Amino acid sequence: MHVDPTDLDDSLLLQQIRQGGHEAFAVLVNRYADRCYRIAYRLVSSKDDAEDIVQEAFLKLWRRPKLWDPCKGAKFTTWFYRVVINLCVDHQRKKRPLGFLEDMEFADGNPGHDALLDNHQRQSLLERFISDLPDRQRQALALCFYEGVSNHDAADMMGVTLKALQSSIMRAKMTLKKKVKLYLGGGST
Amino acid sequence: MRMDPKQFREYVLIHGTDILGWPEDIRTPGLKALESSLELQALLEDEERFERVLKERRYEDPRPELAECIISASRRKKDKRPHSIVVFFSDLFWEFGVPNRALTAFSVSLLIALILGFAIGFFYPSGAISSEQNQINLEAFLYCEGDVL
Repeated sequence: MHVDPTDLDDSLLLQQIRQGGHEAFAVLVNRYADRCYRIAYRLVSSKDDAEDIVQEAFLKLWRRPKLWDPCKGAKFTTWFYRVVINLCVDHQRKKRPLGFLEDMEFADGNPGHDALLDNHQRQSLLERFISDLPDRQRQALALCFYEGVSNHDAADMMGVTLKALQSSIMRAKMTLKKKVKLYLGGGST
Repeated sequence: MRMDPKQFREYVLIHGTDILGWPEDIRTPGLKALESSLELQALLEDEERFERVLKERRYEDPRPELAECIISASRRKKDKRPHSIVVFFSDLFWEFGVPNRALTAFSVSLLIALILGFAIGFFYPSGAISSEQNQINLEAFLYCEGDVL
């Protein structure tokens, strides 16, 4: 009896991939490429880079499917998202860091007037605030706030304790809130 | 369980402003605390404004054929994979979860240096001194600062 690979769970698909099953690999890619892309995009803020990272992660899996070992206890998705996150971290380290906030030019030298900032400028500023956060805080924010991953899963993906993850989210939001209040006028500190 | 304003603020930061989505054990105390405090209601509204700003963050969808591109690339990849020592070490470090490729490059350079060292040691062992070198050593032994010992 032929079983439709789209009905198989991740670990069964991985078993087939280990035996060279390309169809199973295709199912896995279709199942997770978008989610991986969203995570990567939130971490590298570039469509092209995020697509490259997702492709690299899947190709690594295709070349060496035994890298994921179910006996180690991690769910496939947790392990694979961690692979994507690590690739994003590598990518960010290679990239030149952004300049200081002071480099930004404001229409009247007063950044506090959000009416003066158009949508594109607001997004660029927000992007810069987020990219200035430490890696771990940025990852926590991307996973929990933007992607709605549960705190437990996010902690597993990042390889940190739950407390450390929650602390990272809090710090990230507090830092951002101060900057948002100062430059974009949203919320209070 | 009663929730004080400090705890409430922390939970809002950690779990977001949608209290109905909080973990079960803190959801009801959170809702009760919110109901009974104008200060917390103002705090929540403020956080909601802040979250709306965060959600303005730019997002671009991937190209629709991303999955298909990955699948086609994997067809080519399995056949064309080069069997080099660099790939071997890269995979090895990947296996151990070392994310930095610079470390892989560094390790490969160390290995090359080690192999070179062995090769030099093998072809020029320290015990093999030429007769010319032996003569120089003898002169150095016999003469010290121009005087014959």
